[in-house]
Amino acid sequence: MNVIGAVKAYVDKMTDESEPGMKVLLMDKETTSVISMVYSQSEIQQKEVFLLERIDSPNYANSTGLRYLKCLAFLRPTQRNIELLCSELRNPKYGAYYIYFSNIVAKADIKMLAENDEQEVVKEVLELYMDYLAVNPHLFSMGLPCCMERLAWNQSALQRSVQGLVSVILSLKKSPIIRYQANSKLALDLGSRIEDIMNKESSLFAFGQGGHSLLLILDRRDDPITPLLNQWTYQAMVHELLTINNNRVNLSNIPGVSKELSEVVLSAEQDAFYAKNIFMNYGEIGQNIKQLMDQFQAKAKSHQKIESIADMKSFVESYPQFKKLSGNVTKHVTVVGELSSMVNKYHLLDVSEVEQEISSQNDHSSHLNSVKKVIQDDKIRHTDAAKLVMLYALRYQNHTNNETFGLIELLKKRGVSDKLIKDIVYLLEYAGSHARQSNLFNVEDAVQITKRFFKGLSGVDNVYTQHKPLLHDILEDLVKGRLRENLYPVVGNHSSGLRAQDIIVFIVGGATYEESLTVHSFNKTYPSFNILLGGTTIHNSSSFLEEIENAYRGEAMRMRKHTKHLRNVKFE
Amino acid sequence: MAECSEIQEGFLCPICHKDMRSPSNLLNHFQDQHSEDQEFLKSLKGIYGKAKKKILKLDDQELQTFKELTQEKFYLDSSDPQEPGPSQRHTNYFKEIRRERLDHRTTETNKLIIRLDRLLRTYGSDRKQQEQELVVWLDGSTVTRCPSCAASFNIARRQHHCRLCGTIMCNNCSHFLPFEAAHAIVAPLNNVSDREYLSKDSDTLRICSHCLDMLECRRKAQIDQMVKPTIWQLYSLLQGNKKQIQSSVELYNKMFNSLTSGETTFLLQDVQALRSLIAEKAQMIDTLSKKIATEMVDSNTPKAAVVQSNIRKSTSNYIKDSLLTLPAPPSVAELEKIRQKLSLSFKEDSGAYPAGAQPVQTVTVTTGWSPAPAKEAEASEEHPLIEQMRIVKNYIDQARKAHRFEEVVSLEENLRMLQDSYRQLQATS
Repeated sequence: MNVIGAVKAYVDKMTDESEPGMKVLLMDKETTSVISMVYSQSEIQQKEVFLLERIDSPNYANSTGLRYLKCLAFLRPTQRNIELLCSELRNPKYGAYYIYFSNIVAKADIKMLAENDEQEVVKEVLELYMDYLAVNPHLFSMGLPCCMERLAWNQSALQRSVQGLVSVILSLKKSPIIRYQANSKLALDLGSRIEDIMNKESSLFAFGQGGHSLLLILDRRDDPITPLLNQWTYQAMVHELLTINNNRVNLSNIPGVSKELSEVVLSAEQDAFYAKNIFMNYGEIGQNIKQLMDQFQAKAKSHQKIESIADMKSFVESYPQFKKLSGNVTKHVTVVGELSSMVNKYHLLDVSEVEQEISSQNDHSSHLNSVKKVIQDDKIRHTDAAKLVMLYALRYQNHTNNETFGLIELLKKRGVSDKLIKDIVYLLEYAGSHARQSNLFNVEDAVQITKRFFKGLSGVDNVYTQHKPLLHDILEDLVKGRLRENLYPVVGNHSSGLRAQDIIVFIVGGATYEESLTVHSFNKTYPSFNILLGGTTIHNSSSFLEEIENAYRGEAMRMRKHTKHLRNVKFE
Repeated sequence: MAECSEIQEGFLCPICHKDMRSPSNLLNHFQDQHSEDQEFLKSLKGIYGKAKKKILKLDDQELQTFKELTQEKFYLDSSDPQEPGPSQRHTNYFKEIRRERLDHRTTETNKLIIRLDRLLRTYGSDRKQQEQELVVWLDGSTVTRCPSCAASFNIARRQHHCRLCGTIMCNNCSHFLPFEAAHAIVAPLNNVSDREYLSKDSDTLRICSHCLDMLECRRKAQIDQMVKPTIWQLYSLLQGNKKQIQSSVELYNKMFNSLTSGETTFLLQDVQALRSLIAEKAQMIDTLSKKIATEMVDSNTPKAAVVQSNIRKSTSNYIKDSLLTLPAPPSVAELEKIRQKLSLSFKEDSGAYPAGAQPVQTVTVTTGWSPAPAKEAEASEEHPLIEQMRIVKNYIDQARKAHRFEEVVSLEENLRMLQDSYRQLQATS
């Protein structure tokens, strides 16, 4: 199971089926992202696509067409797209149309399109199930930054997630058994909607099953810790500090950055260095970057001395790779340079150490002291201080000497924004102990501590990467066949007794890159299992807090149930 | 987990220094033997924490803290091409619906064309009558308003009839189809001036907007079929050449691999010739794509400029990535070295060519190339086998000139067999 491969195969099918000739690819906002996640523009040009158009852009309808182009229309089957396509067919801009829908389309919509094709320009109408963003071979996202409103599903986000997941399992030729997190209505809603579609379109899902597959739907609320932590592996770190959006990183805020580096693409498919270092930690990347630069300098030197014709020839022959390499070097040096300057400027190592200790050890008084110390350190960012208080508040929510009230006072004194202080309350309401079914902090027993301690001595575990997401425990139970059915029941009348080897985990409320690494390491450790991770989005701490704020928008916060004691945070 | 093998030393009990071999053994051991030492451990932990902080401060390079503490290394493998997932085709359903709808329209249009053709043949003073014989005009007595603009008819606004379908409209809603255009519609493929028409140029045909629409639609479709812009022609030329290059590149890689692995199937000069052929073609598509990029663009279609420059870009990328990176053929000296190395290991096998034992291979010309027959006149008194051999040699020359190196190989095989059987014949006679 590989989502990048699945989407690529569909795109290839699309460009191959439409016979040779100059082509234009007509897309909407979302399908543009779907394709840009797996192919670069120059790769798509090699498939004879020389023009990219957006059907939903305001000036598309009035632009003139080119009759000698073949149009590949790759669109989501939304009402708006059908309408736009109908008017396109009434006045066709291009010579021939090959229509590809990214998901299941209604018969009535096909009929409507056919009735508008008076000039007989349509040659093909096909469903190709790629209605999701393939981030890495084992990771996908729906691109929904906020999926809740008033603590329930936002209906369009639910619909989008259902469609997205249906297309994921179709593109991988699976018809999985669905299990969901028992205490989450969101997970149940999503699971049963997917089950409905699988029953309704049973002919589509009739794959000869080689081995059993499982779709496990989780709720972000069971593990609010992971998205709050500072990260130290390359991909996760870039996302936390610089934000990755559809494989793109915006660097325009960095002073003195050149124009071509104002936005860089980090795609493991096209960038071998990135693919190799995506899960490496901060120290290793630094080392590898140095190597890359040395390698580059050696090459550059050999390029400088062109004396004979043979030199010239070898220069011309290796120049394309050289150019590629040089672009890559400057890109990664800029990105890593920015990461390292942020780490130093905001003392992120110190912050992270406290974060890690709170998240994976049990020592109230010393943790309280560490948090207080960080809050009083004015070199630390407000957000990092506030996030530490959030972690503390979650960790020691039911501790008798809980000091969240006092810590909030300290934050206020420090001048932390009202927004961040409110986030503490939102977070406790969203994912406090009342909202979780798993013991998020079960690492505290003596056995576990000694275990880690040994690891610490032998140099295996890293102080900054002690934390293991809850997903790790869930997957461990799953591969050992002991994931409890009362906590993760099955949707519909299926038995869960069959042991699935192909597992798709979907987190409502967003996955994280730390969890992506967890899944990847499971795939490597247990080669007989094939696990994919997906989420409504892929969060870093700021997008996660954004999502929580959004979930409470319009909710009367004076009625809050679980944070009444925090009288020093007032709403309205 | 996989860590087991890597960190053997990690399973030493810190108190009694026994190797416990696995984490679980160690845990059990620790719980059984040293459970009383928990407090001690905690205090130790504190010391360790302080020590570590000191190390941190000493270390000016923060990176260092990570370097020593590497965990298992993970990286992403590139994804292999895979089979596409399922798809559902709606084309047939779509076309069915469309046909139902368009059949009606097509027959209507065809009817109009036939009528138009007949109308164009009517001349003379009784034209109006002839027209009415061809197309039944609607009775206007009950029609008080123009059906398309709803203005009421009176002395100033008189009723008019569409000459093609006979419906009623006012003068404002009438369209006038010039005879010349009408001729073009009826017989678009024939040169109009060939036929002699007696009509004057200014003659027009009054028709309604509906009929005009249908005729216009048909005309547009015909124009689209006929007109191919220059860029289209250049592009098909470009693609044709690219296709040839593609197959040449495949052949080149095959020949190159065979050559560098010491085989003698292909000749070095053939490999070199093919490479220069590829270079030549690359030059050609480069020029073609430049031509496309500089082709004039109508100011109404700014997109064309984008398309043209993208064609140029993709072609130069293709040349850069796929053609410039082709390995250079080995030099004679290099080749000699490879052969020598190989001949050492294969000495005992040499000469094991079983004469005549090989099944006769026929020349398979799969890609439509065939050598021209040799001149028949000269070969008369020679032995038929010699004659055959000469013909085959001639074919080989031709094939080499046409860069058909695979054919050269199979022809040479044939030649060898002919020579063998000739030699056998000589020996027996």
